[in-house]
Amino acid sequence: MFSQVLAVIIFVAMFLLIVTEIIERHLIVLGCALLTLILVFGIGMHSVDAIMEAINVQSIFQPGFWYAGAEAGEASSGINWETIIFIFGMMVMVEGMARVGFFRWLCMCIAKLVRYKISSIFLTFMILSAVLAMFIDSITVILFLAAVTIELSQLLKFNPVPMILSEIFCANLGGSATMCGDPPNIIIGTSLGYSFGDFITNTGVLAAISLVAVVIYFYLIFKKELVSKAAGGIDYQSLPKPESTITDKKGFVISSVIFIATILLLVTHAQTGLTVSTIGVIVAVATLVSSGRHAVELLKKVDYKTIAIFAGLFVVISGLEQTGILEILAGLIGRISGGSIMLMIAIIIWLSAIASAFVDNIPFATTMIPIIKSLSLTYGVDLSVLAWTLAMGTDIGGSATPIGASANVVGIATASREGYIIRWGTYCKKMVPATIMVVLISMIVIYLRYV
Amino acid sequence: MSSQLIISIGREFGSAGHEIAQKLAEHYNIQLLDSNLLQEVAQEKNLDVKHLEGLDEKKRIKLFSRNVRGFHSSPEQNVSMLQFDFLRKKAQQGDSFVIVGRCSESVLKSCDAMISMFILGDVPCKVKRVMELYHMKESTAKKYIAEQDLKRKRYHNSFCEGKWGDSRNYDISVNSSKLGVEETTRLLIDYIDMRRSK
Repeated sequence: MFSQVLAVIIFVAMFLLIVTEIIERHLIVLGCALLTLILVFGIGMHSVDAIMEAINVQSIFQPGFWYAGAEAGEASSGINWETIIFIFGMMVMVEGMARVGFFRWLCMCIAKLVRYKISSIFLTFMILSAVLAMFIDSITVILFLAAVTIELSQLLKFNPVPMILSEIFCANLGGSATMCGDPPNIIIGTSLGYSFGDFITNTGVLAAISLVAVVIYFYLIFKKELVSKAAGGIDYQSLPKPESTITDKKGFVISSVIFIATILLLVTHAQTGLTVSTIGVIVAVATLVSSGRHAVELLKKVDYKTIAIFAGLFVVISGLEQTGILEILAGLIGRISGGSIMLMIAIIIWLSAIASAFVDNIPFATTMIPIIKSLSLTYGVDLSVLAWTLAMGTDIGGSATPIGASANVVGIATASREGYIIRWGTYCKKMVPATIMVVLISMIVIYLRYV
Repeated sequence: MSSQLIISIGREFGSAGHEIAQKLAEHYNIQLLDSNLLQEVAQEKNLDVKHLEGLDEKKRIKLFSRNVRGFHSSPEQNVSMLQFDFLRKKAQQGDSFVIVGRCSESVLKSCDAMISMFILGDVPCKVKRVMELYHMKESTAKKYIAEQDLKRKRYHNSFCEGKWGDSRNYDISVNSSKLGVEETTRLLIDYIDMRRSK
């Protein structure tokens, strides 16, 4: 009981401290992780084994960590090193692609392809945002897409805000389609043993159906704003040529090959047996070796603070799991739903969506994984159905508010730098209905397909 | 000191900081930037100023905002950043101006041409001035001054390491109630001229 109280206090305090921003988030989370190890596992539970399980370093030395065909180790709580290594590898790859100008080139190519017609740019950039976010983190997608949108808006004289809002939503939606698109999916996939193929054939289908609805929705609400205000026509000669955005031609070719190879490795990882941690290492090594003297620069650019947040969160949530708090929560959801799978799905998807609209979806998803596992065991519900429900709720809910997901913050800030201030009212008026619509679509499709 | 002159004025509400700033701008024949700074920013960005209104000198609300890798979602913070960038750019271009508030003493700290000052005042004098200017009762004026100063303090301290009104942040702090607006302005002109002649 004492250790349970401590685990809850640390968890709640971590959230409150993150909101108050007294110190940087990664320091708060790492501090709370340390307190969990000392107070919850050490003083409360007197268990060295619990500490070892939370740190979970031993998992790295099991063959199953690197190759799924090998004898798999027992799934445990604690730091999910597979997620951390994979995210690190992808971060290195994305930095390498950004260095050579890949993203800007891609955006400019598409804009040129649609002959710089504003409504066509609007539609294609939404799809581009969703497709890119399937494979790389949504922060990077929006960072480049929003910057190019601003650049084009200044040249073609249109308001970039509708386009940026739509891109943000589609990036979050695209991220839900694959195992590597959004951090909650990576955590769900690695913790519950699902493959890239499992995600694409389940959440991928949900995201594809939702994308069609979202593209129509945004087009209808924004179509009046997709016009050029240029009085004397547009000088197309002044528009940057896609080739001019490439900063290193050789590096560009290599980065493109690594990106395509990564997608292939991810798509086929269930067949090849390579785990995402192995893919993460391959991607990072390939990028660093091919970058030559730029390798150190790329390593410096990796967002280690986010990686530290991941590691710390796993430990804090392991405190809740090992003390049985999450089982109590699972029991509560089970009792409310009366064991009905339809009610469970509704509770999980809406609870995840609403929570993710206001708090970081990574700790939320990490907390919910042991809960859905427990629900599945107790009530005999198919775990994968709850996993897809959780993934959609956490990935989509974040779009509803300016603080719900990292991509939202990056998009808003990029627009603000050019004076386009996006306030809560402006943002929520357009994004909340879209979020509700996609959560509803997802719930209905889950009911129709799985129940 | 170079020919460029930037005067940064922090002020308590009712201390006549704005009036002194106006007089200094007139004396040196340089631009005065105060609430019109938003208009200047909007003009530079080719925007309608109404998009930025209501966000001037406001502290961000932490509960409703988030920072990600140096990017901010807070409209208040983003408008402040626009203003800070505008001031830095103007200073780098070699422009001379008087800037009232907007954390300017911290934002332009590295600029050699800047002289920073903080204008304070005695409570009775500030209350009298606010009562006359805004046609308020004494109790309302007192409350209003306290509210405005608290807002300025919160805004300033959320962006700057040094605290609002702390004399260590400014080159000179002066109580305008002791000498009155004219004499205080003259004192400051003497101080600025002495600094510039060095």
